[in-house]
Amino acid sequence: MTWETAFSIANLMAGLCWMVLIVLPRGWPVLPAIIRLAVPLLLAIAYSALVLAFFFTVDGGFDSIAHVRTLFQSDPVLLAGWLHYLAFDLLIGAWIADKADQDRISRLIQAPILFATFMFGPLGWLLFQAVSLGQHLLVAPAAQGVRS
Amino acid sequence: MTTVTLPLPPAHLATAADPMAPARQALAVMAVLAVPTMLAAGLDDRLLNGVSVWSKPLKFQAALLLHFATLLWLAPLLAAERMSTRLFRISLSTAALMAILEIAYITLQAARGRTSHFNTDTPLEQALYSLMGVGATAIVAASFLFGWLIWRSPSPGDGRRANFKTAAALGLMAGSVLTLVIGGYLGSQASHWIGGDPTDATGLPITGWSTTGGDLRPAHFLATHMMQVVPVIALVLDRLRIPVAATWLAAATYLAITVAVALQAVMGSPLIAGG
Repeated sequence: MTWETAFSIANLMAGLCWMVLIVLPRGWPVLPAIIRLAVPLLLAIAYSALVLAFFFTVDGGFDSIAHVRTLFQSDPVLLAGWLHYLAFDLLIGAWIADKADQDRISRLIQAPILFATFMFGPLGWLLFQAVSLGQHLLVAPAAQGVRS
Repeated sequence: MTTVTLPLPPAHLATAADPMAPARQALAVMAVLAVPTMLAAGLDDRLLNGVSVWSKPLKFQAALLLHFATLLWLAPLLAAERMSTRLFRISLSTAALMAILEIAYITLQAARGRTSHFNTDTPLEQALYSLMGVGATAIVAASFLFGWLIWRSPSPGDGRRANFKTAAALGLMAGSVLTLVIGGYLGSQASHWIGGDPTDATGLPITGWSTTGGDLRPAHFLATHMMQVVPVIALVLDRLRIPVAATWLAAATYLAITVAVALQAVMGSPLIAGG
């Protein structure tokens, strides 16, 4: 298997999870477990193996743009970095979906927020914080749903 | 609406309600770490001492996993009041913590393509190598205490498991003392090889033990795994209703073999000579 193939498989897995988060109903019990646990677990294992095997074999580091660029000249390390995005963005997406459901934010509003998180992680999270803040300021406390 | 939240274990070490928790946590760390380590071994062709850099962390992950599995296996032989003491809780927590730190360092050094034991190349690595000795001592001290407390606990099952209980106590105590002595001697040397080719490339399969000269690792292996071997023998003895003297004989024989293997290594001879 080439790094390119591994990259495609990981993208496909994460992409399917995002489709589920954005489009499918939340009631199916098996889907949350796949999105929150199974796929992040696979991504984390693959990430860990790549980091253990390759991180210390390449030059570069985290302390300057030049060093980070050098680091990512290695395909396996670049793949590891991509898996890091996929795993953490997905976990944040699942967290946003949970919170949004608790706040009774419509799925129609959730969809673009989640899509933004899928594409540009922190931007989506920022949108969610804004919507969440608006919801808390504008909705009278009595009208809010059961909150944990 | 169904939400599934991750079942998080409570963040604690040993408590009165769950005195074996540290052993389970250490076991889980070894098991989880072994998965990416095996994958890394498949991806990475760097060598150290003539074998994969991942050979050592995998051996130590397996050994420590087995060690904590053994403590969990033998824990039912411990009377509840023996496990509720502060000494027991501190010693098991310390052993678990040290094992986790030790495997973290061994795995990190493998990733860096460097040795962990016997590495005195930099001041930091030298200090960490010394600390590994302290950690290993804490681990065997805890298993010795574990054996001693089993020895002091009442026999379970109206004497039908007499061999098993005696073997667990003897195996843990003698295995710990032997490991401490052999490991201590090992640590006082510059390497585990005594004569022969200083490489694992010509060593025995999997273990890498020297076939060309003395190697202290087989004796360390036998000493440490006395904690498993003697109790397993005793299970058979109990099944055959053989009196407990047989366990003493088995433990003494095992001890003699271990000492002989250690002496053989000190004299510079391989366990199994290569062609």
